[in-house]
Amino acid sequence: MWDILVKLGTWNWLILGLMLLALELLAPGVFLMWLGLAALLVGVVSLIVNWMWQVQVIAFAAFALAAVPLWRRVAARNVAGPDSAFLNRRADALVGRVFTLEKPIVDGSGTVRIDDTVWRVNGPDAPAGSRVKVVRADGASLSVEAAAG
Amino acid sequence: MSGFDIFVIILVLLAILTLFAGVKTVSQGYNWTIERFGRYTRTLHPGLNLIIPFFDRVGRKINIMEQVIDVPQQEVITKDNATITVDGVAFFQVFDAAKASYEVANLNQAIVTLTMTNIRSVMGSMDLDQVLSHRDEINERLLRVVDAAVSPWGVKVNRIEIKDIVPPTDLVEAMARQMKAERVKRADILQAEGQRQSEILRAEGEKQAQILQAEGRREAAFRDAEARERAAEAEAKATQMVSEAIGKGDVSALNYFIADRYIKAFGEIARSPNQKIVMLPIEATSVLGSLAGISEIAKATFGGEGAGVASAARRSSGTVPNAGGPPQAG
Repeated sequence: MWDILVKLGTWNWLILGLMLLALELLAPGVFLMWLGLAALLVGVVSLIVNWMWQVQVIAFAAFALAAVPLWRRVAARNVAGPDSAFLNRRADALVGRVFTLEKPIVDGSGTVRIDDTVWRVNGPDAPAGSRVKVVRADGASLSVEAAAG
Repeated sequence: MSGFDIFVIILVLLAILTLFAGVKTVSQGYNWTIERFGRYTRTLHPGLNLIIPFFDRVGRKINIMEQVIDVPQQEVITKDNATITVDGVAFFQVFDAAKASYEVANLNQAIVTLTMTNIRSVMGSMDLDQVLSHRDEINERLLRVVDAAVSPWGVKVNRIEIKDIVPPTDLVEAMARQMKAERVKRADILQAEGQRQSEILRAEGEKQAQILQAEGRREAAFRDAEARERAAEAEAKATQMVSEAIGKGDVSALNYFIADRYIKAFGEIARSPNQKIVMLPIEATSVLGSLAGISEIAKATFGGEGAGVASAARRSSGTVPNAGGPPQAG
């Protein structure tokens, strides 16, 4: 077994990298991909540079650890907004909308009826029937201000 | 295997484990809380996240999608002491994963318990009829109370719906009976109303008919009276004409007429079926008088004798037309 590994030499890395990538496809988890890429990288470098296997292993570990921050930097550079910006962020989706108060805002907090449910709002005191605009979402409540006009 | 070899192998294994520990992929719909040495530091949002291995650990994996929890069946006593069985559903969504993780120990159980107790208090302040007919109002009140109560947990309750309200069977049966009685009562009232209306209409019709009849009679009486008046007028006129004719001509013509009628009347009496009673004229002599009148007319026509008879006739002629007067001695 060990003999075989030693005999294969550089190809070990390439074989390992491809196997890891295949495994990543079978069992999706983001980490196996980085290991596979690191193994392929080590293999390619080993074709050019002849280095000790211990060094190769350390390089593999270093590449694997470095791969994630590198990938994140690359990903951050071409940020495309997700298709649905407000998925699971219902409160944020309400920002900018104007609603009519059913009940007055007293002591800075009140309720507004939106989409057949009741939202807690925080804002300046206002009588019932006045219109308010949502300016910010704080968790499960909304910050409002008096709407113009 | 030298120590260095073993060290290298362990190092690789550690690197791999570190990678495992540091790269966290959070799927959409979840937020993970991160604890550094047990203290909450931040929340991981969906996507690829890095955490510092050894220091940070994933604390809670919070579902931030809207969730439905069943509110189990419970017995509620209404204001009018009816025991009803109620169950429902609550829809809630976590807006703040940190609060939902650490402000409350068991979020679902807390929401369920809160909803159940509030169902009790809301329904306990209502009559059974109100409970059955004002579900919207109940849902609204529950929502406001529960939503305000869960706000410290970073949760928003979107709706609370009462599913089933089951009164006890005997109560249901009583309600059905009540409804039936109500309907029967309404039907009876309607029937009575109809009868009353029809009676009134009938009476109205009769009244109208009587009025019309009376009017007809009145009209007829008026007409009759008019006819009588007209007849009297005609009579008067005829009489006047006769008297005028008499004034112009001779009285003997009148005598002729009277005598003629007299004789005819006498004949009528004789022909009457009651043979035993023979009506004698009031004055037998006046018959002769009328006969004398006839002879006098004949004389006047043919001229000549019989002046004595004529004078007798003239003497009696005044009495004959005076019908209804006191009988004269013959």
